[in-house]
Amino acid sequence: MEASAPTETSTFEQLMLPHLDSAYNLSRWLLRNPHDAEDAVQEACLRAFRSFGGFRGTDGRAWFLTIVRNVCYSHLRQGKRELPKVAFEEDLHGSPQDLGEANAQSWLEVKGELLRQALERLPAEYREMIVLHDVEGLSYREIAGVAEIPLGTVMSRLARGRGRLQTELAALSESTSP
Amino acid sequence: MNCDESHLLLEAYADGELDLVRHIELETHLKACPACLRLSEGIAARRTRIREALPRFDASQALRESIRASLQAEAQKTAEQRPIRFPVAWQRWNLAGLAVSVTVALLAGYSWGGHRARSASVAKEAFAEHMRSLQANHLMDVISTDRHTVKPWFAGKLDFSPPVVDLADIGFPLAGGRLDQIDGHTAAALVFRRRLHTINVFVWPARDAVPPPSSASESGFSAQGWTNGGLNFLAVSEIPAADLEQFVGEYKKRTQ
Repeated sequence: MEASAPTETSTFEQLMLPHLDSAYNLSRWLLRNPHDAEDAVQEACLRAFRSFGGFRGTDGRAWFLTIVRNVCYSHLRQGKRELPKVAFEEDLHGSPQDLGEANAQSWLEVKGELLRQALERLPAEYREMIVLHDVEGLSYREIAGVAEIPLGTVMSRLARGRGRLQTELAALSESTSP
Repeated sequence: MNCDESHLLLEAYADGELDLVRHIELETHLKACPACLRLSEGIAARRTRIREALPRFDASQALRESIRASLQAEAQKTAEQRPIRFPVAWQRWNLAGLAVSVTVALLAGYSWGGHRARSASVAKEAFAEHMRSLQANHLMDVISTDRHTVKPWFAGKLDFSPPVVDLADIGFPLAGGRLDQIDGHTAAALVFRRRLHTINVFVWPARDAVPPPSSASESGFSAQGWTNGGLNFLAVSEIPAADLEQFVGEYKKRTQ
């Protein structure tokens, strides 16, 4: 009877811990500081472990990331964190063209540090799309599963998110240039 | 395709996420439209730079160790609280054992004989297709939450017209569709979502085909079938049987 506990733990560790970096990365980007990010991942791991019996799918990473995301959002909702600088308005205004000003040449010269700062200024709902797709390499379909939103919404949020990123970047470069 | 439509698809195009039909349509448009082409190049450069320049944060060794420790403590705690526990490894057995149960059940199916066996083998096939669709990278050939996109996509690919409904209002959003094979017939597979789970609804003509089983289950998957308007329907998923029943009930009601 006692032997079952280590077995369960090791099954969980084998299936879920390989995704720990993904989990931490998402959490770090959503909560924007290492300390909160570690707390959230730790909490998510325990939650995942407790509900592991209900895991039936084949995609452990998506399942785990969904839990991590939920924990992060409840941390954000607790209102301890600063509010996002740009309010999130769900796909209501702004045509997709306003993000089309991307100039191929000028993008080659964008500095990594500035890009990181710009991303941190986006609303979480846009930020997570860019993190999951461009940093973690999840497909639209996988993101739809993790964020529990339709595929079409993933597509439009990602497009808008990149557009907003560009706007933030422009604002940042203006304020830093002499 | 006009410029407005093209603008909506350029990001997904850069990400390689467009279905084949729209990919070709967009490329045709880009060849003819320098403005959209320039936009497309800008979007591609932006995507590349974002991917190169953003850091990925890795979990520290200290975090790993502290998680391991808290998992051990948690396992210890639950073991003490609930001394009688189910033998665990069945999680993995569930996956690995599926192939075995399919084989065993298939053999059993033959001895059953006749009509019923064929009906059961339709279910087997549907389970296998459902499994495959979960693993394959391209669950859907046409990705759309809009039934007015999904239905025309099947026209010209099938000699029948599968009724497409959207059940998003009761928590089963339509995600898309693809072509599949059931019982030697070309079938439409409509893909619906239930949170993280997938429901495949296979639709194929009833003529010359055995009717699908009204219900079947296997290794955590369940299926429910019916016939309506000359078409066979079989819904397959890993969601609880009661949820699937709700889904099927509503699907039937809206296609009558």
